[in-house]
Amino acid sequence: MHRLYVHPLPVRIWHWINAFGFILLIVTGVQIRYIGLINIMPFKTSVNLHNLVGFVLIANFFLWFLFYLFSDKIKVYLPELNPMKHFRESFRQMAFYGYGIFKGQPNPHHVSLYHKFNPMQSMTYQIVMLLLVPIQIYTGILLWDVERFQTGVNLFGGLRVVDTVHVLLFIFFSGFIFIHPYLASLGHTPTAHFKAMFTGYEEIEEETEGH
Amino acid sequence: MTSAWMGTVKFTRHLNFAVAFFIFFFACSISSQAAGVLSQDDKNCLECHSQEKFEKPMAEGEMLSLHIPGKDFAASVHNAVGCTGCHADIDLKKHPQTSKKKITLRSHSMAMVQVCKDCHDDKFKLYEGSIHATLLRDGNEAAPLCSDCHSPHSIRKDTASAPMAEVSCRQCHTPIYKAYAESVHGQIRGKPEGGHAPLCPDCHKAHEVTAASTGNQLKDACLGCHTNALAVHKTWLPNTDRHFEAVSCPACHAPTAKRRVNLRLYDSIAQERVAEKQGVPQFESRARSADSKGLGLDALALQSLLKEFNREGSEGKTILRGRLEVSTGAEAHQLAPKARAIKECDSCHREGAAPFQTVTISIVSPDGRPLHYGAQKEVLNSATSVDSVGGFYAIGGTRIKLLDVLFVLTLLAGIGIPLGHMTLKWLFRRYLRQIEAERQATQPQADSQASSGDNSTSPTKS
Repeated sequence: MHRLYVHPLPVRIWHWINAFGFILLIVTGVQIRYIGLINIMPFKTSVNLHNLVGFVLIANFFLWFLFYLFSDKIKVYLPELNPMKHFRESFRQMAFYGYGIFKGQPNPHHVSLYHKFNPMQSMTYQIVMLLLVPIQIYTGILLWDVERFQTGVNLFGGLRVVDTVHVLLFIFFSGFIFIHPYLASLGHTPTAHFKAMFTGYEEIEEETEGH
Repeated sequence: MTSAWMGTVKFTRHLNFAVAFFIFFFACSISSQAAGVLSQDDKNCLECHSQEKFEKPMAEGEMLSLHIPGKDFAASVHNAVGCTGCHADIDLKKHPQTSKKKITLRSHSMAMVQVCKDCHDDKFKLYEGSIHATLLRDGNEAAPLCSDCHSPHSIRKDTASAPMAEVSCRQCHTPIYKAYAESVHGQIRGKPEGGHAPLCPDCHKAHEVTAASTGNQLKDACLGCHTNALAVHKTWLPNTDRHFEAVSCPACHAPTAKRRVNLRLYDSIAQERVAEKQGVPQFESRARSADSKGLGLDALALQSLLKEFNREGSEGKTILRGRLEVSTGAEAHQLAPKARAIKECDSCHREGAAPFQTVTISIVSPDGRPLHYGAQKEVLNSATSVDSVGGFYAIGGTRIKLLDVLFVLTLLAGIGIPLGHMTLKWLFRRYLRQIEAERQATQPQADSQASSGDNSTSPTKS
């Protein structure tokens, strides 16, 4: 077992701000949408908090974006250009979580400095960070001041379309916030990946022959 | 030089005095006329016309009052033109004329409109663009004419500051007047000492009266006096501009009024509300045809109605722009003091909120008034309406049910998948332990074999 520094400080700061920000956005979002059914805080407080946290996370997104844009760590997000290889490896990863893990088979993915995501993570994070989060930011800004961004709202297809897209992504991220920590607990110990996101060091199991 | 100069000064002083005296005398003469001095000709007319109950029978048994209160006429602005200024057609030699042909009171008033127009052409042009004139052109017998609002023999210049009860609008718009009189504006205006609050023409204009809920005129009228309203609302109301656009002022400031959502047909290219073409009424027939069950338009019927309106123009030209407003004109006047205005967000932003229980679709009729057709309240919550009702959305209040179902399913999956996976791992734990034990048992053996192999080769190497 050896330690490998795979999560630089800016990434760790971004990650934890993002994690708590997402939880706050989901809680306030639920409160805004389901007032009367859920009464954690007043509607106006939840709107103001939702807006505030939203802007913090927009700034945080750019921290992430600029860090990766101007460092060689961007390689972790570079897509696998061979689709056959990508889908074969993704299938192996899915087979591990769905079957191999119960039989004690080793994780087919091996973390390295520029290869920290498994094929499924790699695809998910490319979509999440470069498509879904920017759309959520954009729709969120439109909803924050509908009249000021009326042109953007109209181009999107109207207020209801903007809101529907924002809510659909909110639903996706709500599911993500449950699944993500669970998958993070499937390391060689349940807390290994959590510790790594605090220290920056992933504990890497020594490779046996044949791997 | 000095005496000549002194003489010039004296002359100038005398001239100034003379001019001042002339101006004073002229002003006095004007004010005495305004104070109610009648000309001799007018006095002659009033010898007969000042008699009480002086009447003339008209067609259909109506009576035209010929009584002119001399004092009121003397104080009126029309005193300046005198009786013959308007009644130039009367030949004093043949007066009173006895004609067998009788006309109605309405025809008489219509004829007199032309007389008013001779002097008040500017006001008449404004009137011609009003809903009152449109109703008149449509043959509405109740459409007001000049003399219905202005009493020509007692009209004063300061009508704007006349007592509230004298406002002519109340004659036809009685329920609205009652609501106004009880409102915050009416209460202030009706104070014995007189208060500074708007009367009907201040918001609706005196002559160019248009239908209240078709344009921005009324909102502009509110903001015309309440100039800091937007700034004040911005201190506490999120998305203030949107609220000002999509919610009418009385929807919050008339707290007892019944509210509804009005989905207005809107021309997105011309940037104005869609209006029915004169003589080609289509709205109601199209709405009825889309609403086959007669229960009000549902989401699909609404789509089909929009498609009909878009058939003639480019796709997406006609859209629906929703607005929260009060149900009736009378309710729009029940304005309360601002402390009683609705400020609670959840009075709208919650499921089942009262304003979203009634929905109408509207178009502007040829006379300028809105025409409404009922829609089912479910159109505000249907996924089918995402496109058609795209311009109206109130968070929490009009949320799409399908998204709620999706959210619940996602939560169940988010909790269920990890729990299911953990359960499977727990069920397989014995099997895993067995595999681990076998691995540990085989590992030392493999290690020892590997190390013995190493030992056996080393002597050879050495």
